[in-house]
Amino acid sequence: MSEISYVGETLWIGYVCRLLIITGFVSALMAALAYLMSVRTKADLNKSDAWSKLGHLGFWGHGLSVVSLISLIFYAMITRRYEYNYVFEHVSDDLPLRYILSAFWEGQEGSFMLWMFWHIVLGGIIWFTDKRWRVPVLSVFMLVEVCLSSMLLGIYLPFTAEDFKLGSNPMVLIRENLEAPIFSNAQYLSLIKGRGLNPLLQNYWNTIHPPMLFLGFASTLVPFAYALSGLMLKEHQEWLKPGFRWALFSGGALGVGITMGALWAYEALSFGGYWAWDPVENSSLVPWIIMVAGIHTNLIANNANKGLKSTYLFYILSFLFILYSTLLTRSGILGDTSAHAFTEMGLEWQLTFFLLLFLISSLVLFFFRLKSIPESNSEESMWSREFWLYVGSLVLAFSAILIIAATSLPVFNTIIKVFDPSYVGMVLQDPIEHYNRYQLWIGIFIGLLSGFTIFLRYHLGKLTKSFLTSQAIYLAIAGLATFLISRWVSLPQWQFVLLTFSAAYVATANIDYLIRMGSKNIKLGAAAFSHLGFGLMLIGLVASGKNSYHLNNPFLFRGMSDEEGFEEKYIQLIKGKPLLVRGHMVTYESDTLIDRERFYTLDFKKIDKDLNVLDSFKLRPNAMYSNDFAKIAAFNPDTRHYMGKDIFTCVVNLPPHLTDAELLRQMEDSIVYETIDVTLGDTLEYNGLKFVFSNPKFESDIPEVQKTDHDFAIEIPYQMIDQKGEVINQGASAISMKGSLVYKFPEKIESEAMRIRPSENTIDQLITPENELEYETFELKNGERFSFAGHVIELTGFDRDIKNEAYESEEGDLAIAAILTVNTPKGEEELKPIYIIRGNRPFGLKDYSSDLRLHARLISINPAEETFTVKMAKDKAPSQVISMELAKDVPRSDYLILEAKVFPGINFFWAGCILMMFGLLMAWYFKLKERKI
Amino acid sequence: MKSKYILPLIMIVAAIFIISSATKDVSTYGNFDTASSTGDRLKIVGTLAKDKPMKYDAENTPNEFAFYLKDEKGEVKQVVLQKPKPQDFERSEQIVLTGKMKGETFVADEILMKCPSKYKNEEIAIKKES
Repeated sequence: MSEISYVGETLWIGYVCRLLIITGFVSALMAALAYLMSVRTKADLNKSDAWSKLGHLGFWGHGLSVVSLISLIFYAMITRRYEYNYVFEHVSDDLPLRYILSAFWEGQEGSFMLWMFWHIVLGGIIWFTDKRWRVPVLSVFMLVEVCLSSMLLGIYLPFTAEDFKLGSNPMVLIRENLEAPIFSNAQYLSLIKGRGLNPLLQNYWNTIHPPMLFLGFASTLVPFAYALSGLMLKEHQEWLKPGFRWALFSGGALGVGITMGALWAYEALSFGGYWAWDPVENSSLVPWIIMVAGIHTNLIANNANKGLKSTYLFYILSFLFILYSTLLTRSGILGDTSAHAFTEMGLEWQLTFFLLLFLISSLVLFFFRLKSIPESNSEESMWSREFWLYVGSLVLAFSAILIIAATSLPVFNTIIKVFDPSYVGMVLQDPIEHYNRYQLWIGIFIGLLSGFTIFLRYHLGKLTKSFLTSQAIYLAIAGLATFLISRWVSLPQWQFVLLTFSAAYVATANIDYLIRMGSKNIKLGAAAFSHLGFGLMLIGLVASGKNSYHLNNPFLFRGMSDEEGFEEKYIQLIKGKPLLVRGHMVTYESDTLIDRERFYTLDFKKIDKDLNVLDSFKLRPNAMYSNDFAKIAAFNPDTRHYMGKDIFTCVVNLPPHLTDAELLRQMEDSIVYETIDVTLGDTLEYNGLKFVFSNPKFESDIPEVQKTDHDFAIEIPYQMIDQKGEVINQGASAISMKGSLVYKFPEKIESEAMRIRPSENTIDQLITPENELEYETFELKNGERFSFAGHVIELTGFDRDIKNEAYESEEGDLAIAAILTVNTPKGEEELKPIYIIRGNRPFGLKDYSSDLRLHARLISINPAEETFTVKMAKDKAPSQVISMELAKDVPRSDYLILEAKVFPGINFFWAGCILMMFGLLMAWYFKLKERKI
Repeated sequence: MKSKYILPLIMIVAAIFIISSATKDVSTYGNFDTASSTGDRLKIVGTLAKDKPMKYDAENTPNEFAFYLKDEKGEVKQVVLQKPKPQDFERSEQIVLTGKMKGETFVADEILMKCPSKYKNEEIAIKKES
């Protein structure tokens, strides 16, 4: 291959990228080592030494390399340099620019870079704002960056079995990455087009969700790095304040990221829900739960000089579980337990090494320092705030352990199989059921704990009377609220009654806290906002999760009818036919293609028993075509939002031939048309039905006909009549001609699974062929009138600017069109026959008016006499017998299968999530302000 | 000191109890044989029997898709999925179904498919002549 010199490649980008990847890796390594040396020499942290200066150089060198690398890859993507693998895989010519960001992080390499980018941003903020801690903290940052940069190296390690590959360089040339015959062509670049972005990801959610989630991922590194710094330096108290601040930010950012993921799933994907306990979802939830547990023990450590060890552990584990989640989702180990599709990069060993490195080093450090960590020995009272905060953190940790243990089943299976190849892997038989059953209790406990702990005081051991009185009131209000909620949605089991009660209790207590304390000092309100959010979220979960139902025919159970029966979840909607589903009249009205999406307009009317319309609205779920339009790639939902509920709709299926161009071709090929000669006005019996065809129209207002270019079109109207002679259906099919090409526009009678179209013979039957026309010759001067076939015709002028589509001008042509104006009852109409002299040879192009059924030819021009010879002919009376083509048993195309699902109270869930994160970020904000003073 | 340990102790006991009770949620993948003999709702893993017919009549029974599955033991039986036919079904490399046996037919209401990733598709799309 080396002898081929390829055309059009821009090779410098690849060279520079490779250089930047290596500088990024080396400078991170240098920074990490130099910072660690600086920490080891343990000079005054506020002063800089030679090691720390070298570390700074490495840090900024790394930052600059990564940012330049990202910019350069963007440049290659925007300029569509398909010679590079990453560009080829994720971009295509037709990809709109607004999806370039999505395309960038579609691949693993891109998302690693996004993650690194946030580390650099957060590290940079620490570099500027926390001079005291930046050296140890950034030493941890840079160690992580060394590992992440190594994912991009793309180097084959020597002396390893089967060429162990370290990392994957996104900017390798495609011809180096793939072997294909096309690369023997030096011009290959002009022949290929990019694969483009997966249509499922061509959505604005994929532009905003990944950066937010990765910011959340990256932010967990900060408390981790502060904790390790505290351990390294044995300064167990000093890091708590900045660590706490960053933990609040991290809890908020990761929480927002996860919530956005749930919103994306609900608003834009066809899942029909927002949380499915999928391993991918779980593995990002677990670090968040642990971070929140850490925030609570950090509060204890800040205020009661206890819980320091737990705080260390929680912050360490939160980050380690982020690494673990990366391993789970990117190694392919989840296999068939996740609905999410992830690409495998062959980096699982590198990721495992990455995880083990940080797991072992951080835990070893923790246990080495364990003895030096101070812990107050003072007896703690049962009724101090720290005691219950601690209990709450343990419950959260417990929740995290339960979730991650079940999620890790495929990992356990893989490990056991290494030792016992005959081992048969275990799976959760009903994951959603399983998680719900156990996490329900976590919800109940956390709800109860957050209802009163906030009213307790640190160190204090007594319960005051006012505390007990207000608690009694909260419990009473919660009881009442639970009763009211049970009137609104059903609480199917006692556990759910308890959960609702707990949720109502935490909400009530924290609203009161907000009113009493928050009004005095807004800073105190942050925790209450989060806890209130938690309560609302639980109510939302019970309402929308346990009470969602499909809009369907509730009495229809089909199929394997037995004692249980299967509920028919999805409904079939036929275009134009209203269907009554649980108090809603749903009509599939129309479909429209916009760009690559086909929108299905559904009309919803909520009706009462007397058929009064209570509410009326339209929803437009859509189907998205693949990049080459060959098939439907995804269905996207549309949702009607109310205060108290949502109505979610998503098309789940269409007639097979409408989902795939290949199936459509097969379907069209399978239609058997029968040619039948019909007499206009007479009744034709076909397929057990009666048809009457009426006089053809020599123009057509069928939109499809008007959209296509044609010389003339013939439309043949028909009526379908029943036994009594009443019209039950009517319409028209058409045929058009462009040059010598014939186009047919069949009429689809979906209800009868029929097609009707004119046969090609109808053209000759209705328009007299040229050789049968009887022309009459006229010699005219400009402005002269004559009469022909009952029309008065005038030669009104000439046209040298000829626009007739049948005429293609050539160099040296002499062409002129005569304008013949015909007076008709409807007004004037022009015929423009053309006379051409090309290379001394004259010839003419006739004009035809399908309205008037007149043919006109310009035969010759006599310049001396200024006369023009024109020939006119009129069509013979059209035949009364025409040939039609009819087909039956045609698969119908006018229906869709719809999932319509009602989610009661889902807004409680969203509002709860938002409030929880708002509380965290609000606390962070106030801590930031405190710091500045 | 004592009250400090009571609660964690209770929680540890509860944890052991819960985890041991959770193990019943876990089991190996079933096959047609175990599904028939136990009659339980379980997960079956297998591949699409491509030589046998698939039936999906979207017009009349949109919530019913019938096909044949070859389970891990190599047994082939008919499956009725109580859902519309999933997209790219023919391309699936592996199918996991949740459901139970009804006579000779496995009736499933949940499906997870493993499809080849688009990245494994090593074809290179050639620009169409315009």
